[in-house]
Amino acid sequence: MNAAVRDVARPLRQPSVLPGFGLTFGFTTFFLSAVVLLPLAALVLMAARMSWHDFLHTILEARALGSYRLSFGASTLAAAINLVFGFIIAWTLVRYEFPGKKIIDALIDMPFALPTAVSGIALTTVFAQNGWIGQYLEPFGIKVAYTWIGVTVALTLIGMPFMVRTVQPALAEVQKDLEDAAETLGAGRFHIFRRIILPTVLPAMLTGFALAFARGVGEYGSVIFIAGNLPMKTEITPLLIVIKLEEFDYKGAAALGTVMLVISFTMLLAINLLQAWGRRRHVRTTR
Amino acid sequence: MSITLDQVTKRYQGVPVVNDVSVEIGDGEFFVLLGPSGSGKSTLLRAIAGLTGVEHGRIALHGRDVTHVAARERGVGLVFQNYALFRHMTVADNIEFALRVRRMKRAERVSRRKELLRLVALEGMDERLPAQLSGGQQQRVAVARALAHKPEVLLLDEPFGALDAKIREELRRTIRQVQRELGITTVLVTHDQEEAFALADRIGVMNLGRLLEMGRPDELYTRPATRFVATFLGAANLLLARQSKHGIQFANGAAKREHTVNGSPPGREHEVVAVLRPEEVELASARESLNGSYLAAGTIEEMVFTGALERLRVRLTKGAEEVQLARVNGDDGHYLEVTRTQPEQRAFQVRPGQNVFIGVRRVHVLPTPLSSFTACAPSESEVEHLSMQPLLVELASRMKTRVAARIEPALADVNGDCAAQEGVFSGAAVIAARPESLKSIECLLARGAEEVFVLPPNAPSPQRVLIHWADEDARAATLAVSASLLRHLHAEAIYVDVQPQHATDTQRPQGMRALLDARAEAQAVHGLEMRTELRIGDVASELARRLGESTDQLLILGVSEIKGLAQRFGELLSATPRWPLLVVYREPEVQA
Repeated sequence: MNAAVRDVARPLRQPSVLPGFGLTFGFTTFFLSAVVLLPLAALVLMAARMSWHDFLHTILEARALGSYRLSFGASTLAAAINLVFGFIIAWTLVRYEFPGKKIIDALIDMPFALPTAVSGIALTTVFAQNGWIGQYLEPFGIKVAYTWIGVTVALTLIGMPFMVRTVQPALAEVQKDLEDAAETLGAGRFHIFRRIILPTVLPAMLTGFALAFARGVGEYGSVIFIAGNLPMKTEITPLLIVIKLEEFDYKGAAALGTVMLVISFTMLLAINLLQAWGRRRHVRTTR
Repeated sequence: MSITLDQVTKRYQGVPVVNDVSVEIGDGEFFVLLGPSGSGKSTLLRAIAGLTGVEHGRIALHGRDVTHVAARERGVGLVFQNYALFRHMTVADNIEFALRVRRMKRAERVSRRKELLRLVALEGMDERLPAQLSGGQQQRVAVARALAHKPEVLLLDEPFGALDAKIREELRRTIRQVQRELGITTVLVTHDQEEAFALADRIGVMNLGRLLEMGRPDELYTRPATRFVATFLGAANLLLARQSKHGIQFANGAAKREHTVNGSPPGREHEVVAVLRPEEVELASARESLNGSYLAAGTIEEMVFTGALERLRVRLTKGAEEVQLARVNGDDGHYLEVTRTQPEQRAFQVRPGQNVFIGVRRVHVLPTPLSSFTACAPSESEVEHLSMQPLLVELASRMKTRVAARIEPALADVNGDCAAQEGVFSGAAVIAARPESLKSIECLLARGAEEVFVLPPNAPSPQRVLIHWADEDARAATLAVSASLLRHLHAEAIYVDVQPQHATDTQRPQGMRALLDARAEAQAVHGLEMRTELRIGDVASELARRLGESTDQLLILGVSEIKGLAQRFGELLSATPRWPLLVVYREPEVQA
């Protein structure tokens, strides 16, 4: 109650380093509109020109459904893989000192900088049936390149820096003292991890997950090289959109784009709500 | 005994940060580990908690050896300087953490939590988050949390460090109360002597990884044994004085006034370090109106009003050349720190620049044998060079003492008649290492020096100090000097005993016994933990071999006869020593 009153009473303008609240706020609105909102609105408008029947037909055809499954499925899986391994990498980088640490730390950002097509081609080379890694997986009947596994591998690579870079600062915040305190209180390693470390870094991990997932859904360049692009099997939605564009089916492309927009937005919103709920749960107990 | 530490040593990259610490802490005792930052006190606390392993030694809690037991099984409560509360948990969850780990039933948990919150005066704060509490309250929660699982020992690591003065005092009272109520053995680490005085049943003062002294607060304050404790616990002026059977005198010259001190050892006159507390200094307008003994005249240099007390810095004028301060404060003069109470201020008001007479009410003589250093060399330039040697400068500054200069022409002439020279030696004589060092040592010892320190050029700070004495008469003095030196060094002490190759059956057990006695005496009398090594063979060559093992060693040799030096160690001293050597010489006491 008090907090609510305070929020309202707080003046809109607060003294700050950058001058001109009006100017900066105006610029923020303009920038968001021009770069984010207007293009998205145009997308929805374009799709709206279709009749409901055509729209539903386009977005519910078997090929489209298959591509959603792959796009969102592989993105979720890749983000989940990054959740675990990105955490481990961040942990190693925060907690240990070893020679070459700086170099490894810098390497994490490479997927950011590399043109995604380059990553895709490189991954394909390595995971192809005669590639460095692919040749050893072949005898076990595991095919990576040109299957959904390849898509997941590519998306994992692309999403990893998001995970590591969000978890790293959060982990650095967990002081060694907290673990020491828990240990003197009788907690074992698992307990310390579960009760002390995880709750502290979980919000950051969720953010990292959301970022990696969003990046995965939007990824195009690296996937098309390793996916093989078989309709229904290894075709991602962005590729389907490109194919529609090449067929001059702009409306169909917009319809698929709208579906991606809605699903992505819903999932990101859900993650954000989850985080907010997590935060509120702690605060609520105090009221 | 609740906590027993036996020769606990912890090293970081080879440097001992906790060096051979042995201590026994009784049931329900409040023990405060006091020391400057970097003295190893926190590391020692973490070792007791089990968060840091030790390289050497034994730790026992309530008679149970826990040296290799994990922290979670030691049953200790630990409170950190930065509270280390779990920020995502409520106060209740924080306190119940240890109970949940132990799978205690909910009802029991709640009642235990309520009890603890009452104990630290935080009733009703159960559902707050740490971020919603003040620093003092957070630390109270941390104390309650540390006590939840009924630990046998409570450890506090600078718990008041992050709090402001008022809250600090309040929390201090709470902790003392809680400790009394529960009767729990408590170890608190701090660098604040006021805190130590306020809380401790017993204080242990640490410096350079060593536990220098232990005792009741008042004992340590009035009768410190070391320079470090004297100056770290409260302010102290360190003076050099000469002690004889008549008492102690400060002036070198004719103006002899004697100050009686309790328990001054009989024997020949020698230099000692006296502790003069600022509150034991008396100021007066005339020499006749002093109640205590006259020390010197001085000028008020600086006055600071601190409420109850007035703090003064008095520059010694007349008598500065007679009264020797162990520590020279700055190049331009000698200062004395003085504090005066309100009644004293009213009785004799002073202002800066005023000339006053300084008297002494009470001094305490430190039982430390190395009072000061005197650099001896044949020429002025060599004396100058010698007194700038890094090891000597380091030792003098750590020991808060001075290096006097003395030109000794006799040292130039090896075959000259040494005894012909006159003069009284104060403190340890220091000479440069040369091929004819043995002759120089003999010469200086013959002329009354009790310790001779031979310094090779640019000797590094030693990591190991080897101790050996030629005969049992030299034992006590050698141990005293070794202890005094080692308090100021980051080094390990090793007593090296050498048994002859063909020892008889009666010699062998005797040698063993001497070895054990030496260790026991070092610890009991001087608080010096030393390792022992037994070697077989010729004394001089075995010592030489041991010294050859590494370059960062220092040798302390004790003798009770001057000619014994050449007889026993001639081979060792025939060449220029490459390691610092400290020769301790005491004549055997003549039975009256």
